[in-house]
Amino acid sequence: MLRPSPYTTVLKPYGSALVQVAERRSDVVCLGADLTRQTETDLFRDRFPDRFFNAGMAEANLIGMAAGLARAGLIPFVNTFGVFCTRRPYDQVAMSIAYPNLAVRLVGFMPGLSSPGGPSHQAIDDIALMRALPNMAVIDVGDANETRQVVQETLDVDGPLYLRLKRGEIPEILDDSYRFRLNRATVVRPGRDVVVVTAGMMLPTAIKAAEAASSEVDVAVVYSPVIKPLDGDTVLEAAEGTAGVVTAENHSVIGGLGSAVAEVMAEAALGVPLRRVGVQDRFAEPGSRPYLFSKYGLSSTAILDGIWELAGIMSPPPRVTEVEREHEGSFEPV
Amino acid sequence: MSMAKAPVMEDKELARQADRARLLAVEMVNSLGLGYLGQVLSSAELLTVAMGRFLRTGLDRFVLSPAHYVTGVYAVAAVLGRLNAGALATYGRDGSELETIGTERTPFVDHTCGSLAQGLSVGIGYALADRLAGSDARVVVFSSDGEMEEGQTWEAAIFAAHHGLSSLSVLLDCNDSQVDGPVSSVTSLEPIAAKWEAFGWEVFEVEGHDIGSISSAMTVTRDHRPRVVVARTSPTGGLEALNGSVDAHFIKMTDDLAESMTEELVRRIG
Repeated sequence: MLRPSPYTTVLKPYGSALVQVAERRSDVVCLGADLTRQTETDLFRDRFPDRFFNAGMAEANLIGMAAGLARAGLIPFVNTFGVFCTRRPYDQVAMSIAYPNLAVRLVGFMPGLSSPGGPSHQAIDDIALMRALPNMAVIDVGDANETRQVVQETLDVDGPLYLRLKRGEIPEILDDSYRFRLNRATVVRPGRDVVVVTAGMMLPTAIKAAEAASSEVDVAVVYSPVIKPLDGDTVLEAAEGTAGVVTAENHSVIGGLGSAVAEVMAEAALGVPLRRVGVQDRFAEPGSRPYLFSKYGLSSTAILDGIWELAGIMSPPPRVTEVEREHEGSFEPV
Repeated sequence: MSMAKAPVMEDKELARQADRARLLAVEMVNSLGLGYLGQVLSSAELLTVAMGRFLRTGLDRFVLSPAHYVTGVYAVAAVLGRLNAGALATYGRDGSELETIGTERTPFVDHTCGSLAQGLSVGIGYALADRLAGSDARVVVFSSDGEMEEGQTWEAAIFAAHHGLSSLSVLLDCNDSQVDGPVSSVTSLEPIAAKWEAFGWEVFEVEGHDIGSISSAMTVTRDHRPRVVVARTSPTGGLEALNGSVDAHFIKMTDDLAESMTEELVRRIG
């Protein structure tokens, strides 16, 4: 299931996968808003110029046009930064796409603090916003192999999806045995003492924390890229009887994966404590990814702190070097 | 010469149908006690031309951007024989398909939005899809002057003109009415025609209660631009009973008011 680190990377897996599905499906159309290369859709534009529509910097109109195309039977992929397809045109997404339950794929790039561009570009609330909309499914993708599968296998889902993607060079963490499924989370590492539930870019961070803990705590890692509808059964099954659950997300701890897990645990009266690693209800600032991830606690160190607290171990947790991310794209504020 | 006279007769009959739609709307709103009647009174001719003359059922698309106008759609549909009186009697009642503000359930329209000014963008999406499919279908987006206050209108106007979406027509009801009063007292939208012209649209400014003028503007030879029909209308639909002083956005109906409006409309229909 898991490849060994350091992970190899794949360049533009989303952009390539989108071209692949468009080769065999003439109903796939691609929309953007002045961020073509940044959303890997230069590949689509160059291959299928007639099916590529650039709205310019006009996201309200962008969303409405996608609704019209979907109503006419096409499958629009709408590509921009996460902040610009959720926070900015929220009413348009709610009323023109989610409410009519149209098969639009909103693809939001630069998740969480992966953007060096500061609060205007850092989508720390996109999952919360999209999760609150009826009909909308939310997927926080973290692996190159998975990216390809998500594009292909959700193509005929008859409703809106929000895909949260990192751009550029994407790590290969999961091997060929991994199967993305819209209704299932995956236990990528078994463990009996503490469970880490994670999604998206935090997967390698969670794996590193679990491995570092292994001499003293047996840590399971549940990978749940589909945050809505959350596979509560897999989370509860893994969590039952353990010392606790740590959620790890590149997003605010309010409204995202941590909240979704808290909801299923509370409603099941599991009686297992929860710690949420993520952005702690704060706006960040411009900065490099390693700096921001460290400063705002999106780290193996923060996950280990949570594991240690839940396991009730008095001695300090092991020190761990953070996941190397320098191969995941250049520093390029847009 | 008989060829030239026939459309004139037809225009007169369509004008009567518009007034019949107003009459039905007065009944519906009076039965409920409240409703969006001013919108019907201003737009009856526009909706009658669009639905009764221009749109080809099963081919063309009709987007009703301001869903508050939906009462007029029901009334015109009934006049055109597409909706029966029994259905109209359910207007605005709990569980009825005929809601006071249009929704996904609304018949006769391909898209509508209660959150205003989202319709033109959806119409553009339809027009792009038609172009991809090589279809000669037309898209009519009914809009209102108040919607021009929303920025999305202009995002959409820029895009449609840039892409030369000539299959797209906007029917713009300029009734100078919004919740807080006359649009012109809230924001200055004029010169409306010049604004659309400057955004790259083919503009036809018409007297919005004149069937012939609306029809011509919708059908004259096209150029490569999207088209907007700037229709100057009154939220009273010329009814003296309303005395020009009514809150046209949302009318609270009384039996007396309904009676005098009905009398006046019956007289006009003749």
